[in-house]
Amino acid sequence: MSHLHDPAFLRGMTQPRTRREAFRIAGLSAAGLALAACGVQGQKAAPPKADAVKDYWSKQTKHGRVVFANWPEYMPEDQAPLKKFQSETGISYQYKEVIQENAEFFGKADPVLRAGQSLGYDIVVMTNGVQLQHMIQLGYCVALDHSKLPNFAANAGATYKNRAYDPGSTYTVPYTSGVTGIAYNTKYVKDDITSIEALFDPKYKGRVGMMGDAQEIANFGMIALGVNPEKSTEADWKKAGEKLKAQRDAGIVRKYYDQSYIDAVSKGDIWVTMAWSGDVFQRQLAGEPVKFVVPEEGGTIWTDNMLIPKGAANPVDALMLMDYLYQPVVAAELDEFIQYVTPVPGVQDILKEKAAKATGEDKEALEQMVASPLMFPSEADYAKLHTYTTLTTQQEQVFNPIFQSITQA
Amino acid sequence: MKRLTPYLLALPSWMWLAVFLVVPLAAMASVSLQTGNAIDGFAMTFSFSNYADALGRYSTQLVRSLWYGGLATVAMLVIGYPVAYWIAFKGGSRKSVYLFLLLLPFFVSFVLRTISWGFLLADDGVLFGTLKGWGLLPADFHVLATTVAVVGGLTYNFLPFMILPIYVALERVDPRVVEAAYDLYASRTAAFRRVVLPLSLPGVFAGVLMTFVPATADPVNAQVLGGTGNTMIGNIIQTEYLTNLNYPTASALSFTLMAVLLIGIFIYARALGTENVLEAAAR
Amino acid sequence: MAELNRAELNAIELDGVVKEYLSHGEVVQAVKGVTLDIAEGEFFSLLGPSGCGKTTTMRMIAGFEEPSRGVVRLHGADVTNVPPNKRDINMVFQSYALFPHMNVWDNVAFGLKQRRTPQEEIRRRVGEMLEIVDLAGREKRRPREMSGGQQQRVALARALVNRPRALLLDEPLGALDLKLRQAMQIELKRIQREVGITFVYVTHDQSEALTMSDRIAVMNDGLVEQLGGPREIYEKPASAFVAGFIGTSNLLTGVAAGGVLELGGGRVLVPGRDGEVTVTVRPEKITISLDKPDGEVSVVPGTVGEVVYLGTYNSYAVRLGDGTEVTVFQQNAHDATTTAERGDPVWLSWPAQHSYAIGSRSTP
Repeated sequence: MSHLHDPAFLRGMTQPRTRREAFRIAGLSAAGLALAACGVQGQKAAPPKADAVKDYWSKQTKHGRVVFANWPEYMPEDQAPLKKFQSETGISYQYKEVIQENAEFFGKADPVLRAGQSLGYDIVVMTNGVQLQHMIQLGYCVALDHSKLPNFAANAGATYKNRAYDPGSTYTVPYTSGVTGIAYNTKYVKDDITSIEALFDPKYKGRVGMMGDAQEIANFGMIALGVNPEKSTEADWKKAGEKLKAQRDAGIVRKYYDQSYIDAVSKGDIWVTMAWSGDVFQRQLAGEPVKFVVPEEGGTIWTDNMLIPKGAANPVDALMLMDYLYQPVVAAELDEFIQYVTPVPGVQDILKEKAAKATGEDKEALEQMVASPLMFPSEADYAKLHTYTTLTTQQEQVFNPIFQSITQA
Repeated sequence: MKRLTPYLLALPSWMWLAVFLVVPLAAMASVSLQTGNAIDGFAMTFSFSNYADALGRYSTQLVRSLWYGGLATVAMLVIGYPVAYWIAFKGGSRKSVYLFLLLLPFFVSFVLRTISWGFLLADDGVLFGTLKGWGLLPADFHVLATTVAVVGGLTYNFLPFMILPIYVALERVDPRVVEAAYDLYASRTAAFRRVVLPLSLPGVFAGVLMTFVPATADPVNAQVLGGTGNTMIGNIIQTEYLTNLNYPTASALSFTLMAVLLIGIFIYARALGTENVLEAAAR
Repeated sequence: MAELNRAELNAIELDGVVKEYLSHGEVVQAVKGVTLDIAEGEFFSLLGPSGCGKTTTMRMIAGFEEPSRGVVRLHGADVTNVPPNKRDINMVFQSYALFPHMNVWDNVAFGLKQRRTPQEEIRRRVGEMLEIVDLAGREKRRPREMSGGQQQRVALARALVNRPRALLLDEPLGALDLKLRQAMQIELKRIQREVGITFVYVTHDQSEALTMSDRIAVMNDGLVEQLGGPREIYEKPASAFVAGFIGTSNLLTGVAAGGVLELGGGRVLVPGRDGEVTVTVRPEKITISLDKPDGEVSVVPGTVGEVVYLGTYNSYAVRLGDGTEVTVFQQNAHDATTTAERGDPVWLSWPAQHSYAIGSRSTP
């Protein structure tokens, strides 16, 4: 029974995504009840006036506590960065790994925030995308006071200060970024994959994994057509949809995956797949035959962002913690664990120095990290990386059906 | 006051029904007729076209769900009846042990169980990897991401809900009644067909209801075990609710599904003869 | 009896039939070796307390149990390993075991349908049978809509309509109240006479067995204790068990010499017996008198204890000199001679032919 000792098998059995699925379903019923309870009112928020923001922050004081809601595996197990924050500022913290999926989290948060109640969290981390957009549009986010974010101003990379979905970082600051590219199983694929066309190659018929998320798959459809997703039009979406439909109808796609693609590609159920960089990197370190590439035609970069939800009890403390995490040393400690792309470029040098001092396996791992384009993309890499298209509500109603009709046929 | 007491005692149940059934259903019915979007809000426009639109877009998935649910129910019946029969009549003093073993996997969460199936059925996993290693299966053979996997998963996941009611019905069959059939010249087959089977029909009826309805509406198996073209209506409703925040379409689909299932149950009850079923159940 | 005749005369024969079960790893004998001949047309009862093996014996005749050893024959043919549906006998079950999902007609017609009897004949025979059991007009009823007595008659009809060579009845009246039970006893006997087939009747109720049976096998602990007609079994119990199980009986024990058992100042006549002996005498055979009676009878003195008035008779508990308590029934006839009361010294007497020395193999 060698399979039972296979670390991939065991890890697969305990993947956090299982909980995500469960929560998704719980969220569904919660949404149903919320609708029943209060009906559906529109709450479109106007952009904040500078005076109002100032007014809000002038009334807030430090309370000495903060509640941080984040995704699993986004914080070292010993929570060292948070502990240091506590000892330096005297602010006690609660860290909760309660966010498993954007849609599910939004589904649960929406009725609470709509009713004007507090989520009980002071910081929430959400990926740029439809749900974050809704959070901003519905006025569920507190506009940030940048006078209290000096580390962010000093240390965040330029691309992270100016993000299309939140211009001027009005509501959010990045926690970490990741890249959507291609992963392949080197046991089954002997060629070096460099092009996005591998995902459409009949050679891999039935062995290709695509992502079920409309934005992710749309991006790859457009990138394959040479269209920049950020500047795409409805016509581009339709063309991308046709390409992806043809790919599906030719039997090339095995399945439209959620997080489970990483198990599937590690096990060899699929050989080539759309993938998130950090997942692949972790599997590589575990010795599995998977490799990640950003296709030469381009990939997608996404960002998980910290925000203060409306009604948060301790916004000042939250802001302090956000800024604290932008100290390069803290950011380095964090990134060494999560191994995605940090918004603080200075981290690379810090890890380099650390690698120079380290020995043995640690040194090797650190050197690997520092050299990895998955953690520190080069300028050329960044040039190839596109963000998700920012959609208006009206556009969403056109965009979603085009791609969902492919992934959910 | 005394005459009111039974009504007062029933009050909590009525409130429960009101809060958890009537109010949500009414709200859902209302939402299903609204138009708008999550950002600007939804307004009641009595747009019955929501139903037509939803059905127009998703009739494939709806029909597929009924088909998968039906297939899984038949499979559960074929597998579950003999199991229930065996436990009820041959289980002896170990009946409760067998029932416990039957239920044991179901102490694990539904989703986790389904995902475990993904591992079991992996192309080069425990089962097929071994068989392929022995050359018993072609290298590109796979079950995951196919209809077979989805229907198989549904069958596995809801099986106890088929077995238990049938078991209860069979358990209630007086063994002397079966002996009476043998005594009256019935062969084993005839005794089963003329006596045991009719007496267990209430269990079969309950079992089919308890499995067909959730199997048809289930989103998890299609998501975890299915491939392209295995999407069920539950997945669509979930996407419309959570991702698209298209509450009217999701509500309209939920209602349509409910209506279709209710009509199906009604036809089924008529076909099986509710009268006989209820009568037998009332024994 | 010659073997040749045996097969011709007997509906059912059991030869050294043994039934063993494995219970908690131990072999338990439910039936320890029963040999019986049941004649054609006979009303035969298996009588005994629960757990005596009577039901198991019947189930082996029906074919629901296979004997561990021994042979079962029906009309001379060895059916030891023949399944019940291939045996030409039918059974009326305890609590009837009617098919709850069928109406009366379908219940009764079940056996005929299984044997692929022509429709027309089924209709005729079921109709006739329902007449016999007085259920005509109730064909469409379901079993649970009927009274216990009616269900009982459906069960009877369901078995008899097949015209079996023998009918087995397993405590068929157990669930009925006393009045109905007595009525059904007479009814059963009538039906048996009418259809003229062999009835094998299992019961623990001795009065039921005595009322209806041509012959009775009294069973105890997996064995037949006594086999005989009702009178024989009642009057001449072969063992203390039978004496105690059938009716009320007094047991007197002592050492006899020269055909006489000296007992507490009296004498009990036990012709031809010497040594340790147990004597049985029925309470209604004893005469109670204040003066010592004369003649060649058994006579013992005693003191009256409880006197119970029971309508047609009185029951006296009389304590003998050696402490033995004897029950005496005395008819309340118009010329009742004694009016013995509590504490009175009395004499008990009975003719020698009413007391039997028995083997005391077992006691109830």
